[in-house]
Amino acid sequence: MSNQPIDTSIYSAISTAIQTEAKRILAEEQVSAVIGYTTARRQGSAQPIVITAANDAAKLIFSPACVNNLAVYLTKAKKEIPKQGRIGIVVKGCDLKALVGLMGESQLRREDLYLIGVPCAGVLGSTVQPATALTSDSIAPKCSECDARLPQGCDFVPSQTPATPELEHKYAAEIARLEALTPHERWAYWKEQFSKCIKCYACRQVCPFCFCEQCLCDRNKPQMVETTPRPAGNTAWHIVRAMHLAGRCAGCAECERVCPMDIPLNLLNRKMAKELKELYAYEAGFEVQDKGPLTSYEEKDDQSFIK
Amino acid sequence: MVEIVGSTMHPEKQKHSFEPKIIAFVCTWCTYAGADLAGTSRMQYPANVRVLKFPCTGRIDPVFILKAFQQGADGVLVSGCHPGDCHYIAGNFHARRRFAVFRKLLEFVGVDLDRLQFSWVSAAEGGKWVEMVSDLTERVRAMGPMTEFKELALEEQWSGAIDTPELKEAYNSI
Amino acid sequence: MQKYISQQNLNTLLDTLIKQGTRVVVPHLNAGTPLYEPLQSAAEMITDQLPRRSAKEAFFPVCEDIMSYTKEGQQVSVADIDPSRFPETVLVGVRPCDAAAIPVLDAVFSWDYKDEFFLERRRKTTIIGLACTQADDACFCSAVGLSPADTKGSDLFLTPLEGGGYACDSYSEKGEALIASHQGLFTEPNNATALPLARPQTEAFDLKRVKAWLDEHFEDPSWDSIATRCVGCGACAFVCPACHCFDIVDEGTEKSGKRRKNWDACGFWKFTHHASGHNPRDQQPKRYRNRIMHKFKYYDDKFGQTLCSGCGRCIRICPVGIDIAQIVEEISKK
Repeated sequence: MSNQPIDTSIYSAISTAIQTEAKRILAEEQVSAVIGYTTARRQGSAQPIVITAANDAAKLIFSPACVNNLAVYLTKAKKEIPKQGRIGIVVKGCDLKALVGLMGESQLRREDLYLIGVPCAGVLGSTVQPATALTSDSIAPKCSECDARLPQGCDFVPSQTPATPELEHKYAAEIARLEALTPHERWAYWKEQFSKCIKCYACRQVCPFCFCEQCLCDRNKPQMVETTPRPAGNTAWHIVRAMHLAGRCAGCAECERVCPMDIPLNLLNRKMAKELKELYAYEAGFEVQDKGPLTSYEEKDDQSFIK
Repeated sequence: MVEIVGSTMHPEKQKHSFEPKIIAFVCTWCTYAGADLAGTSRMQYPANVRVLKFPCTGRIDPVFILKAFQQGADGVLVSGCHPGDCHYIAGNFHARRRFAVFRKLLEFVGVDLDRLQFSWVSAAEGGKWVEMVSDLTERVRAMGPMTEFKELALEEQWSGAIDTPELKEAYNSI
Repeated sequence: MQKYISQQNLNTLLDTLIKQGTRVVVPHLNAGTPLYEPLQSAAEMITDQLPRRSAKEAFFPVCEDIMSYTKEGQQVSVADIDPSRFPETVLVGVRPCDAAAIPVLDAVFSWDYKDEFFLERRRKTTIIGLACTQADDACFCSAVGLSPADTKGSDLFLTPLEGGGYACDSYSEKGEALIASHQGLFTEPNNATALPLARPQTEAFDLKRVKAWLDEHFEDPSWDSIATRCVGCGACAFVCPACHCFDIVDEGTEKSGKRRKNWDACGFWKFTHHASGHNPRDQQPKRYRNRIMHKFKYYDDKFGQTLCSGCGRCIRICPVGIDIAQIVEEISKK
């Protein structure tokens, strides 16, 4: 498929709508803070911001560089955001799924949040060079499979309708390619990928679901996973990470975006999501579910693999 | 005469060039008791298996399986109570889902699932335990050693890599 | 004295060195990611991309064994790694921002304790720098007193020329020796003009002023606003050419194991976590403050140098868009 531009012309109107709403809710003291995006120094770039004054609302923006899943600032392990009162947060559809998952895991309460949803046509896959235009090549792979361009159940959503470009499903295609290989070939593929890992733990730190106060991988009594950035410890870490997110990951793909070594981490998460859908008809969505697929069971669950 | 008696009491063991290491993670209430029954009933099964006892299959973290492979296991058996028999009511139901997903993950990163066996073995099924252990041992024996994780453990990283014969020799002399 | 070397002769030089058993570390693509790594053939070398990680890893690897042990019965044997066995190395195509950070690291690795692993590799490595012709808006070498043609840290320095090939200048005995031992590959300089250098867009920071502010503002409310967004990963430190913190870990089984030296980062919660459970840097802004303080104050206090060469890697890689150039510039104006 050739590289086609993606229409993001609604983003400036969305930015204005977000500013107006943030200003209103801060001025009326409905919320104590709003977590959103603002411009950064580099051309076309954006970064997360927490504002507490109505006058700062003008700083908020939405653009293709607004890649972050801001839900990470609400989970337990990241304590720096003031927790008094209700918090406003700007969410794309994918980010909202993560918030919904966190509500299901009793990490957040809906009534503590004021959700500003964003109708989203997609964001950039990488912000190493943020000034790039949004096209079918530069768009984040997750956006090529997005079914959540319009967030549901928010307190406020700007009225614009996002473009819904038909794009090649990059993860589905890559998973199918890997599944068709022999175990030996798949091992060789992942070995090469995991060997690049430097254990900076950016994948863990940006994940809204990695909210453990102390990660299994930071413990040394017992040491279940080697902390050293060598092939053995790296492989174990990435398998453990994928397993701990199975049935929880909402598909924001932040892990993959932030990886300084370009490891396709979300492939593991998408593969797990695919299996959970086939096995237990579970999918991350906009409805809060009390129990995830791996914290519940049915007596009739498949056990054909057990003798 | 002595030889004949000896061979019936201790059937001649076949010599193999490769004896696989099998790690079995079992629940204490059913499978461990089943293995016990096999022993007290004097049933024979391969000595390749090392049994690790847990309160419940629900306590068997997938990371244990990973660790077993990393530390040199050639095959892993996970076994517990039949559905409905869990001492803790639903531990094995949770384990069933977890392992269903975990084996898909291992398969995706390239682990041959023939090295990993799950089973339900009750306290009364000494015979089934023998069958499970024998089958897995023979299957893994035919597959040969599990080299993937061992190779990873030996591998060094990039610029710290042993990338010259000289350095290799230095490391080997350790 | 300036020499000329064609691209082809440079490749021949590297291939010859590889054949002679020298470790040749150059930027190349590893599964699509540009990294400085040992090569088997000069043809794999790339010059058009800044490697994702810096060149420090040629001396200070992500992870290295420093000791190993085995235990049999009651018999424990311990073996040291002998740094004298490290191979002769040529590090080629190093950007000025990466090369300039290496002499800065010498100070800390040869201070109270002489780190033989670092220093022995340093002694055995010849660094061939390469003038930089590409900058993006994250680059800020010119803001910290360097430039795209800065030769600091380089033994030989290549400047790409119009029409191909490089002007080659020597800045040390190691550089002279390398030219001397491969004389046939270097020719007299031609009159070709150099390719235009990169032009980083930032203006020079007043580093004295930055330090003066940092001296007085360990406690300052602005740290919170600077670093609230930091999520506490170690990406910035791990891609940095100057960050040099490491962690020593023992890993192994009851029968054998190794003591290893791994990169560490002050952004991690665990970095200052005490055994008692107390953590003096209990919040992320305190950890980020340490990053800035160490680069622009502590290192200066101790060694009279700035621990930043403006490569911009941390800016490009930060998951949440923290921009050290912007932060330091703002501090310099306070």
